[in-house]
Amino acid sequence: MIFIAIVLGCIIGALIGINAPIIPYTYSGYLAIAIIAALDSVFGGIASTLKKNFDLKIFVSGFFGNAILSILLTYLGQRLNVDIYLAAIVVFVGRMFNNLAIIRRYYLEKFVKYRKIQKEKIVEYEGKNQSENAQKKEIKK
Amino acid sequence: MEKLKSILKINLKRNFTANNIAVATVMFIVCITLICVMFMQFKTVEETDITDIENMRETELRTALAEWKTKYDAIASELVDTEQKIAEYNDKMGKNDEASELINKELEQSDTILGKTDVYGEGVVVTLRDTNEKLIHATDLVELINELRYAGAEAISVNDIRIVQNTSLVDILVDIDEQYINIDGRRIASPYVVKAIGNQTYLSSILNMKNSGFIDRYTNDNHSVECENRKRVEILKYNGEITASHLEEGEE
Repeated sequence: MIFIAIVLGCIIGALIGINAPIIPYTYSGYLAIAIIAALDSVFGGIASTLKKNFDLKIFVSGFFGNAILSILLTYLGQRLNVDIYLAAIVVFVGRMFNNLAIIRRYYLEKFVKYRKIQKEKIVEYEGKNQSENAQKKEIKK
Repeated sequence: MEKLKSILKINLKRNFTANNIAVATVMFIVCITLICVMFMQFKTVEETDITDIENMRETELRTALAEWKTKYDAIASELVDTEQKIAEYNDKMGKNDEASELINKELEQSDTILGKTDVYGEGVVVTLRDTNEKLIHATDLVELINELRYAGAEAISVNDIRIVQNTSLVDILVDIDEQYINIDGRRIASPYVVKAIGNQTYLSSILNMKNSGFIDRYTNDNHSVECENRKRVEILKYNGEITASHLEEGEE
């Protein structure tokens, strides 16, 4: 059900986004930062789900809070003539890589385990077959 | 089939707990927001290539320029207004100056006429002296002053006391045969120097008229009278105050 919701949300979001008007170029910088913050939250959420300590409240507050905070910081930076958005990008992208690494490791380990089990099964099966064949041969003889 | 149905049911039951619904809704909203914003951004970035950016900047600059121009125009018009006002004020001030100058002149003239200023000019100086036989009385002085005024004297003083329109000239009796002349509350004594500014010829000719002139009459009456024509007679200002506390201006 959650999966369905995600897919549906993505489709509807894409439709809305495509049909939405173009935002002014001056504000696209803020939006980009907000997107990166939101993506960071999403990857964080996935990573925490894999670690089995996912909290909905933390996720939602992080998702919207980080986006808004990064926009505000960018605005402040522009007012102060300091590129604060660079710091935001560094932090968010760094965290994103961290979370991606966690996700990657998790699935890699899972895959490796699966392969191991499969191999064992095959070996077992082959061993069985061999023994059966041997028995059959003996019976034939 | 039966088995599949039962599995689905279990799954559905497991999926439709309150927590799961909340998570699903939140995920739905989050996905919509994120993807929507992302696509908007994609579109924006796609459709604004460099020339477009420059164009946008140009338009921005243009709008800014237009804004500044309107501001400039507004301020320029304000400046014109202010300058006009200043010119007006200056004009008014000039007028005021003229008016005040006129008033000042008038005031000076009035002061001069009233006797509030020291004045000088051509005129005559008449000196009267008490003698053993004849004393000078206030009436004699009044007569002289009257005659001087008749001759066109513009300013008169007796012993440097200015004679103005409300000056009193009286005899004060101290004893039966002792008296003195009092002008405006001040005691004066012989010699009585009467100075008058005015047309010298008129003044002297009227004073010196045979038989009817003041000097002739008084010398004939054994008074000591001297008359002197002077090119420059100095008369001091009236040093009292001219008050009009009981006067009220009549309505025109």
